[in-house]
Amino acid sequence: MAARKIIVVGGGLAGLAAVIKIAEAGGAVDLFSIVPVKRSHSVCAQGGINAAKNLKGEGDTTWQHFDDTIYGGDFLANQTPVKAMCEAAPGIIDLLDRMGVPFNRTPEGQLDFRRFGGTLYNRTAFAGATTGQQLLYALDEQVRRHESEGKVKKYEGWEFLSAIIDGKGVVRGIVAMNLRTMDLQAFMADAVILATGGVGAIFGKSTNSVVCTGSAQSAVFQQGVYYANGEFIQVHPTSIPGEDKLRLMSESARGEGGRVWVPRNPGDKRPGRSIPESDRFYFLEEWYPKYGNLVPRDVATRAIHKVVYQLGLGIDGQPMVYLDLSHIDCHTLHRKLGGILEIYQKFVGVDPCVEPMKIFPGMHYTMGGLWVDFNQMTNIPGLFAAGECEYQYHGANRLGANSLVSCIFGGFVAGPNALQYASSAPAPEGDGGAAAELARQAEINKKLIENQGGENPFKLWRELGESMTEHVTVTRYNKSIKESDEKIVELLERYKRVNLSDKSQWANTSFAFARQLKNMLELSRTITLGAILRDESRGAHYKPDFPDRNDERFLKTTKASFTGSVEGPRIEFEEVDTQFIKPRARRYDVAS
Amino acid sequence: MATVESPASPQLRSGVEPLRAGQGSSFIWRKLHSLLGIVPIGAFLLEHLLSNYEALKGPLAYGNQVKFLNSLPMVRVLEWVFIFLPLLYHGLYGFYIWLRGKSNVVYYPWAGNWMYTIQRYTGLIALAYIIQHVWRQRFTGVMLPENPYYAFHKVQVELSNPWMLAIYVIAMIAICWHFAYGVWLFAAKWGITPGVNARRRFGYVCIALGIGLACLGLAGIFAFVGPWYPSAPIPTP
Amino acid sequence: MAERTVIFEIKRQANPDAPAVWERFEIPWRHGMNVISALMDIAGNPVTADGRQTTPITYDSNCLEEICGSCAMLINGKARMACSALIDNLEQPIRIEPLTKFPLVRDLQVDRSVLFENLKRVKAWVPIDGTYDLGPGPRVYPQQQETNYPLSNCISCTCCMEVCPQFNVETGFVGAATIAQVKLFNNHPTGKVFKEERLRALAGDGGVQECGYAQNCVEACPKQLPLTTAISDIGRDVVVQKVQDWLRS
Repeated sequence: MAARKIIVVGGGLAGLAAVIKIAEAGGAVDLFSIVPVKRSHSVCAQGGINAAKNLKGEGDTTWQHFDDTIYGGDFLANQTPVKAMCEAAPGIIDLLDRMGVPFNRTPEGQLDFRRFGGTLYNRTAFAGATTGQQLLYALDEQVRRHESEGKVKKYEGWEFLSAIIDGKGVVRGIVAMNLRTMDLQAFMADAVILATGGVGAIFGKSTNSVVCTGSAQSAVFQQGVYYANGEFIQVHPTSIPGEDKLRLMSESARGEGGRVWVPRNPGDKRPGRSIPESDRFYFLEEWYPKYGNLVPRDVATRAIHKVVYQLGLGIDGQPMVYLDLSHIDCHTLHRKLGGILEIYQKFVGVDPCVEPMKIFPGMHYTMGGLWVDFNQMTNIPGLFAAGECEYQYHGANRLGANSLVSCIFGGFVAGPNALQYASSAPAPEGDGGAAAELARQAEINKKLIENQGGENPFKLWRELGESMTEHVTVTRYNKSIKESDEKIVELLERYKRVNLSDKSQWANTSFAFARQLKNMLELSRTITLGAILRDESRGAHYKPDFPDRNDERFLKTTKASFTGSVEGPRIEFEEVDTQFIKPRARRYDVAS
Repeated sequence: MATVESPASPQLRSGVEPLRAGQGSSFIWRKLHSLLGIVPIGAFLLEHLLSNYEALKGPLAYGNQVKFLNSLPMVRVLEWVFIFLPLLYHGLYGFYIWLRGKSNVVYYPWAGNWMYTIQRYTGLIALAYIIQHVWRQRFTGVMLPENPYYAFHKVQVELSNPWMLAIYVIAMIAICWHFAYGVWLFAAKWGITPGVNARRRFGYVCIALGIGLACLGLAGIFAFVGPWYPSAPIPTP
Repeated sequence: MAERTVIFEIKRQANPDAPAVWERFEIPWRHGMNVISALMDIAGNPVTADGRQTTPITYDSNCLEEICGSCAMLINGKARMACSALIDNLEQPIRIEPLTKFPLVRDLQVDRSVLFENLKRVKAWVPIDGTYDLGPGPRVYPQQQETNYPLSNCISCTCCMEVCPQFNVETGFVGAATIAQVKLFNNHPTGKVFKEERLRALAGDGGVQECGYAQNCVEACPKQLPLTTAISDIGRDVVVQKVQDWLRS
């Protein structure tokens, strides 16, 4: 019998992890990626990867990791998969270590660990400040090995457009577009895994890469997959605002002793380094004495917003605060944080060893995503999801350095499960719906190319991003979220008049972008509508009008399903699995 | 598998081909080129410049040196195996290297890139010069192996032409440059000086070597055109 | 007061068969602009400086923080990453061209897959037995980590290959990036198992011997990899390997 064929879409950590597991188990894989997989967004992760290896003699346990993750996520995550992830994490670190990831070491040759937000343990393994890059490369190398042995076929420079779903509602393959020739092609498989990352582009500027549009998730959402917890968007407390994007300044800067502060005197004109201690307001340390600068990201972000917008203490009246490393030995900084120091130096032109960095919160991570069961399968049989594109591991707020472990773990679960599913999947009838789906996509392309009107897709995108960032990030009011939702409806209407200045059929990036934009618009309503309905504050979702968590009504997963109507997605709520840890109040300002 | 294709997509041009892992023999030829440049060619260069230096002591001393060299056992075999053939190979393969390199010092005017480019052009100068030099001094005119004491006179007549003198001076500098930087390159590429500081320090050594050799060589030339032995007669031993 | 603007001259080519043309753009200046943000601006308003409607520019980019390696192009004649090319540090008009050593796709987009193929040919990976739990990896001392980590920072941008006078169709030189990866994997306690194979591979046509040591690679590398040191070390190891092979044959 021929090997079972699995399609993996996305070549970041989750996708590559799935590919490796499938290839190892004897399955055949077609791997699709918009960019060469080595350039996937996982490469941007900086600070590290969590695992309770307890190599620092602190008595850390996988249970403690589990508890920190659930508590950090404000109890919204289903506990069974999170527990499994935390238990698997030490083994994942060992595996990465064996693959040759150049983790930082102790003098004895052991893995070194540092502290990250939302925990009191040194639990984060790291390779300088480019851990994501190093992990992605390690998996990329393993996949290249399987590729050279003929077990994996890569389709780099292909964009996923839709799933092929047969008459019985089972996934049979995908339709993808060659981004060079713009050809459409149907690819059949016994199962499909989506590992297509986050949705940063919906917010215009974010710390995400250009390809993180959420287009693939949206496509299958529009084909009937539930999208869960869309309203949970992580805004990272420390990023460098830029003209083209927000550049992340890793939490590891604080893990290594970095301190966040503003001048006590709002009019203080002195450069940061010449302001004496007594005139500095270390607000995180004062407000959260136990965790200090290492409170979870949602807490730190809200604190920075409060200092800037309510207390008016932003540096020079601008929306900026200091992230200060200048008190730490320069050699140590370079050894442990080299990568991010270089980013700051290159893009801002200031040496962070000498001068405190100026930072501000920026959209960073998508906690929500495609709804999956504990086997990583969506509600459409044969369609799996892993990594940031699904919702399972982080609840209402992700802890730093948990994303890399959730990506790899998710891929490791999805891969074998997809293969298992494939081995018992019934054979498709006829072409499994391929011709019809291909024709549908070709029709969309034809209409887009021939469309007449005056709208530029890049301008529509900018408007979407500005509105979403203004109304649906850190502080949310129902009135303003509704404004954003109405804006999306307006943009969807204007999208019908989108006119491409480039109608060629060769490496037409604006054409591909226009298709992504439609999907971004459709998906963004799961964020706005989910946020409107959730009248409470939980994790990253903060409504001043409803400042408390409301477990009775909202200890529930938001599940959005596509309707195609102007009312937007239909939202229902699902019970959360809390069988291991009873929900308790989440307070980082006092001991829990 | 079903596809929807756009009409006749353009084709990419072919680019640089990937590594032919373990295939072909260019490694051995290139390394031979590199090695021969040091031994025997470099060694011979040293010997030749030292011999020329004898000319400063006069036509007789110079003639004696030529006579001595030609009295070595199996000198014709030595000459071909250790001088002409290696030179020919180093020159021709070097020409081939020059042909295949695409200097871009105009766009990237960095020190190493200048040296790369200069190494190629000094090599070309050396090749052209050595061909004419060997032809005119070794294979035509008075046969020096048989008439070693004609050596000073033969060279002096050659250098009495100011154009030829200029060619000799330029070629001498080019060859010394080529050799000195070649030694530095040899150490770098054969992994003798992998460290940045080691390469820099060895660079100073090679600069000194190059300048020393060039002085030695130019002094030798000067013996023929300087004020000491104008229109020197053929000496009798 | 006239608005401050930035002038760009961009070399464009609709496809590999089409003629190359230069287009001039005038874009409003903003603080902290980089080349990528200018290309984004052009996409939002694809009009040349003389008011002619044109198409958005095709180029590769992804992370925009110089870690994914996508956006290498020639900026004022030099190969570098467009994301870290800040406008205020560049001389105007800013001339932008695609890399010249790789097959052109369109405008600033080229096909750099040769590097990934080269990585396959030198087996640039650690051949682990499997992904099942085999406990921790080999001990590695901090000094070793500090040698290997810089080599592992290669972002596959191919700048080192673009600027190399020896990397061209005549030589088929493999380029510095791949040689550095061979050093990285030969250094690894488990990766070593393929050491001899990798060294023999690099003695093939287009191998390490083609290096002319112009050292442009190390000057151009945006991640400051110790490329010339890697070439030296690997050059020596390949010679030793070949001599050993010859003596033991």
